[in-house]
Amino acid sequence: MALHTDEQTITDLGIFGRRDSAGIYDLYNHTHTQGGEAILKEMFLHPLSDKETINRRSSILKHFARLHLKFPFDAATIDMTEKYIKLPDERTGHSRGQGTYSEKEIHNGVTSVITMIRQLSAFIAGDVNGISAYADEREAISILITDPAFEPALRGESKLSYTAVAAYDTLFRVRERHKIGQLLRHIYYLDVYLSVAKTAVDRQFVFPIALEKGLSVLQLEDVYHPELKTPIKNNLSMGPDQNVIFLTGANMAGKSTFLRAVSTAMYIAHMGFPVAAGAMRFSVMDGIYTTINLPDNLGIGASHFYAEVLRVKKVARELSQGQSLFIIFDELFRGTNVKDAQEATVAITHAFAGKKNSMFIISSHIVEAGEALKQKSNIGFSYLPTHMNGHQPSYTYTLQQGITDDRHGMIIIRNEGILDTLKNGLKQTQQP
Amino acid sequence: MSFSIDTQTLEELNLLGKFRQGSIYSLFNRVRTRGGEQLLDSMFRTPLDNASVINERSGIFRFFQEAAMVFPFDVQEILLMREYLDTSAGSSVLTSWTGTIIKRGLAALTRDERYKQAVQGLHATIVTLKKCHVFLETPQLSTGPYAHRIQTIRKILSDPRLEKLRNIDIYQTLPIKTLVFYEHVLKTKLHEEMEGFLSFIYELDVYMAVSDVARSGGFIYARAWPPEKNILSARELYHPGIKTAVGNQLSLDGNSNVQFLTGANMAGKSTWMKSVGIALYLAHMGFPIAAAGMDFSVRDGLYTSINVADNMSLGYSHFYAEVIRVKQAAEAVSQGKRLLIMFDELFKGTNVKDAYDGTLAVTEAFSAYRDCLFIVSTHIIEVGEVLKSHSNIQCVYMPTIMDGAHPLYTYTLQKGITADRQGMMIIQNEGILELIN
Repeated sequence: MALHTDEQTITDLGIFGRRDSAGIYDLYNHTHTQGGEAILKEMFLHPLSDKETINRRSSILKHFARLHLKFPFDAATIDMTEKYIKLPDERTGHSRGQGTYSEKEIHNGVTSVITMIRQLSAFIAGDVNGISAYADEREAISILITDPAFEPALRGESKLSYTAVAAYDTLFRVRERHKIGQLLRHIYYLDVYLSVAKTAVDRQFVFPIALEKGLSVLQLEDVYHPELKTPIKNNLSMGPDQNVIFLTGANMAGKSTFLRAVSTAMYIAHMGFPVAAGAMRFSVMDGIYTTINLPDNLGIGASHFYAEVLRVKKVARELSQGQSLFIIFDELFRGTNVKDAQEATVAITHAFAGKKNSMFIISSHIVEAGEALKQKSNIGFSYLPTHMNGHQPSYTYTLQQGITDDRHGMIIIRNEGILDTLKNGLKQTQQP
Repeated sequence: MSFSIDTQTLEELNLLGKFRQGSIYSLFNRVRTRGGEQLLDSMFRTPLDNASVINERSGIFRFFQEAAMVFPFDVQEILLMREYLDTSAGSSVLTSWTGTIIKRGLAALTRDERYKQAVQGLHATIVTLKKCHVFLETPQLSTGPYAHRIQTIRKILSDPRLEKLRNIDIYQTLPIKTLVFYEHVLKTKLHEEMEGFLSFIYELDVYMAVSDVARSGGFIYARAWPPEKNILSARELYHPGIKTAVGNQLSLDGNSNVQFLTGANMAGKSTWMKSVGIALYLAHMGFPIAAAGMDFSVRDGLYTSINVADNMSLGYSHFYAEVIRVKQAAEAVSQGKRLLIMFDELFKGTNVKDAYDGTLAVTEAFSAYRDCLFIVSTHIIEVGEVLKSHSNIQCVYMPTIMDGAHPLYTYTLQKGITADRQGMMIIQNEGILELIN
């Protein structure tokens, strides 16, 4: 079962890089093969929504990371095999030698398949033997390569004669072509596992523990955004008694970055992948929806607000189907005036608080909305503080309990010297 | 000193841009010739800064609007003439002779088009001169604000060489001697006269095109006053791009230089501000405006903050982007310029208290500049309660009438302050809360 999510969320989290910047995907991508890359991409597009599958994949990755395994193949071997297997099968109706590819290509192809089978055989006899979560896949590979048909490949001499090549060619490309394809697919998965395991080791990411669906539990220790060079780590704990968090803080205090860090961890955790945190436990959700950068390219003033309303409506529709969702709204209703935003934020947040099987983090600059939200016991309050260093604000990026009373709007206005400029300016135009 | 306006203001008012949908430029761009378009372009880029010059130009527009004449020239012929005059000619009669003979020889031998082009170019010039001569005889032109300009063109055309040229029948054989003579004369001795003649045609094009738009749109012309008068008043002012727009009255001067505007989203606040901005800009160009009447004193510039976008790549938050915008306006105002400044929904990217404090402090500080005019809109009606006490601040609002659960907008300004808001109503109309609960 796949996790529900959408284009907006994937863009918000920057899962895939844009032309000029790397994405989260690139952090995990150390694959050697194109097939592996494609599978990794597929995993990023479709996270899981099933506790067992997530934990199984996570366990495989964890053990691979523990064993510090290297990708046992030469990338060239795999590429060659892939290319060779895809050569059209000219054996029906045509005599030998009339194909569009040379004897040399056939020879290289056969050699690489044999090398691949031998390396794979050695690999599954090695350390992976002990990984219980990988046992099924290991077994499947084992059955494939211990097939009697491949027996000559495992035993044969290293130097191949012309006739031997012809025999192997028939074996690999005609009789057992399908099995070679299956082996390749296993190797691609292996590539992905090893690539992600490498990320876990290199970056010291942690493997989250998935819990039952519907518990609304999220416990994060030392979570940070993986793309930051010098990240400040934060803790976050959500549960049935506190499934809504109202996040406040001045502009530039780090609200959006924190939201990105948490929702990226949640998204990646649903893939069974390691995340940028010290420890993580989460209940599996049906869907993740974030609204961090809602595009407002429509140009008209009222439309940004309306785009936000439609986004909330979409989430509401999913919620009404009883799904367990993880929802993030950054600067909810910033597209309208402060009064409307305050009223709407309170109404929507109250409604969200009634959905105990889902979790919500809502950030807002309208600190006044907090007072009305305190009536509900399951709404928690956090803020990112700003310290005023004289007139210069400095930020700790460390989450605190409560609602901020930072109101630096006027300070910024004063810092820019607007009021002074106006006070001291020429009130009357000088007569020439 | 020229009229100052910045890119953001130009964009917010959607003034320029040939290919931008609904831009004011494209509204007026009905010119036929390329030269006319260039002229229109430069008029849009450089508004005037002198009351008498503005009134003179708007007088000419008004004259053409009333005269309702038809553009007498053929666009294709003007294009041919332009190309003909642009091709270089020999510096002496002799080189012109050889050049023409070579071209004719080549045309007979190969597929060289240049000789034909030269003949056609001269033909086009003859026809255009003829048409212009007839046009200048129009009795309406001898009086009115354009008579002086007509006089200068008549003088150009009365040159005996041009008179002779004009009277050539193009359907008769054109002797090569004549061809060479004019090839030489038009491009050298009479070069300036011909340029003047062409720019007259372009001018006519713009005057007629713009006044045609004005006539069909029912636009009028504003009267410009010297800067010292410091007024901006209009009756039935509306947005020229909106067909069914509702007109409103505006009256600002040194004793009442701030308009404090309230109203719900979509009630028409931004459109009203844009209408005022567009009218003032067009008025400074001497162009027709969408109103029943308007009087304005010449200003040094126009500054708006209607759709401030946040700049994520620069790390600007929405709030900071607005602060920077206000700062730029403050700097311009404090230099003693006479500006029109419009702020729509100030400081929406912050908390309520800061928005209140900021709007109040900024509006009060700006309002002390009696030589500048301000229009400020906000939803924080408490600011209005405080500002009401200032004699130079007028409070108006755009009303919303509720028809059951659906809001209706009259787009007619009323005196006072309104607390209307529709944010929650939009959410309720979408049925979101019902969906969640």
